[in-house]
Amino acid sequence: MIELHDVQFEYSQGGFSLSVPELRISSGTRAAAIGPSGSGKTTLLNLISGIEPPEAGRIQTAGVRVDALSAAARRSFRITHVGFVFQDFLLLDYLDVRQNILYPYRLHPELHLDADARTRAERLAANLGIERFLARRPDELSQGERQRVAIARALVTAPKLVLADEPTGNLDPATKQHALDLLFEQCDAHSMTLLMVTHDHGLLDRFEQVVDVSAFGASRS
Amino acid sequence: MRDSLFLAWRYLRHHRAKTLLLVLSLSVFLGLPLVMRAMSAVIQESLMARAESTPLLLGKKGSSLDLVVEALYFQPKGIDALTTADANEIDQTGLALAIPMRTGLMAQQFPVLGTSLDYFSFRGLKTAEGRGLATLGECVVGAEVAASLGLKPGDSILTSPSTLFDLAGVYPLRLQVVGTLEPSHGPDDRAVFVDVKTAWVAEGLGHGHQDLATAGNDVILKRKDGTATANAKLVQYNEITDENAESFHFHGDPSNYPVSAIIVVPNDDKARVLLRGRFVNDSARQLLRPAQVVQGLNEQIFRFERVLQLIVWTVGLATALMFVLVMVLSWRLRSDELRTMTRLGCSRWKAVQIMGAEVLLMVGASVALAAFFGFVIAQFGEAWLQNLILRGS
Repeated sequence: MIELHDVQFEYSQGGFSLSVPELRISSGTRAAAIGPSGSGKTTLLNLISGIEPPEAGRIQTAGVRVDALSAAARRSFRITHVGFVFQDFLLLDYLDVRQNILYPYRLHPELHLDADARTRAERLAANLGIERFLARRPDELSQGERQRVAIARALVTAPKLVLADEPTGNLDPATKQHALDLLFEQCDAHSMTLLMVTHDHGLLDRFEQVVDVSAFGASRS
Repeated sequence: MRDSLFLAWRYLRHHRAKTLLLVLSLSVFLGLPLVMRAMSAVIQESLMARAESTPLLLGKKGSSLDLVVEALYFQPKGIDALTTADANEIDQTGLALAIPMRTGLMAQQFPVLGTSLDYFSFRGLKTAEGRGLATLGECVVGAEVAASLGLKPGDSILTSPSTLFDLAGVYPLRLQVVGTLEPSHGPDDRAVFVDVKTAWVAEGLGHGHQDLATAGNDVILKRKDGTATANAKLVQYNEITDENAESFHFHGDPSNYPVSAIIVVPNDDKARVLLRGRFVNDSARQLLRPAQVVQGLNEQIFRFERVLQLIVWTVGLATALMFVLVMVLSWRLRSDELRTMTRLGCSRWKAVQIMGAEVLLMVGASVALAAFFGFVIAQFGEAWLQNLILRGS
């Protein structure tokens, strides 16, 4: 599902580089990426999703050679194949919950906002227990509820891969467990691969695979 | 584009105070120059149309602009008066028709014009309701006066005393409304018309009172050589009725009674040239072509408008720069949103489209608002602005 081979990457403005000799995450796996701050966890997600192209090496995600795609093709790939959950949720305060979930459909011509998409959004909201908030705005919700909206937005396009960058970092322990339960449940239900960055080692036993990014070659200049 | 418009609309709606402020600023910037140009053109046209329809105007020497403004647009300028002898002089030449005009009086905030019946046919004024002037004390009101005061034939209107705190001064005269005029879309709509003699009565040059021959001794101060002098107890009439009409009279030589200006309607071009020649060297009077004077006024308006346009464009430029600054700062504040869009897979072009849609909606709303206000001002502001220009001229 995710394969990285001899990947070399350095930010264009310099300052940080990462090399990944080999990484394999099978389809449908729940994987956690760990490592200290600055070890390259977010960079790894960026490479896998095609936000950043590598300088060298091969990256295959969901059967697509991401490293060989043009910038436009990578964007297209990302919105159709990858769902993102961010630590700070990044919901839009001017859209209600329903429109926040459907937001990816507004951004790319390849996604069509039809009745099926709307039904899927409502079903996801029901599964995540936020259906009664569909007409509310994010700033009217609690942190846990907002995270659930962010999860619904990541899953609404039925991606093959979900990348989550410390999605539970801002949540209290009880809410954290519940959010994780919901995320796992949805990923399992739809056979999605999950790669989640976390600093919380207490959660690691819930993952099938743990990727220690600090074992890769990261360097700062 | 539909999605971009949707997101832009939701964003603007959510930040409605900021949006409203920007839209209002932009609409003023866009609308003001257009409204000013359109209004100025309409006003200049309407001023000129009135002036061109008045072939010649005779008045006392002095400001030609004041004479035209008072005689044609009924804005009081305090011009010196001619006399009826001047009107008779024009008539006696056989070259033109003289239409006397007595201005300066007001009735419930509307100007009163004392004139002859020729004025109505000259201006093409038609009676909408009632009849024309027939006897002393009657008036005919313009369409706007009738509408705003709710007057109809049978009603009455009081002249406004020119010396409010002078108890010995001239008292208001109650005028009987005998007719209302059809709208003429000019100054005549906002005037009250009376016979020139009625205007003199309203000014106190003529009056009616209790018959001294039959009055009791308590109102007579002295009787001598067939004349009687009355005291303040004598009843002065403030309304001309069938019963007291005969008691109204004028003292002194009627040929010396004042007229503010005389509209001179020459029989033909030759008569016009001859008349103008006669007054060229007149030291006390001027015979002028109103169109020439208004042309001068229009040139002044045009010059003033150009200065104003320059100011408006400068302020507009500042507004536009502020608009750009606000938008740039707003997008900078939304960097998280832009980053999210990019990470989710949105192209830069799409992001530009969404931002562009916000600008488009705001500019569109501003244009619509400017057009709406332009329409409202054009509909209701013309008369107001025309009065303002004439008052200030």
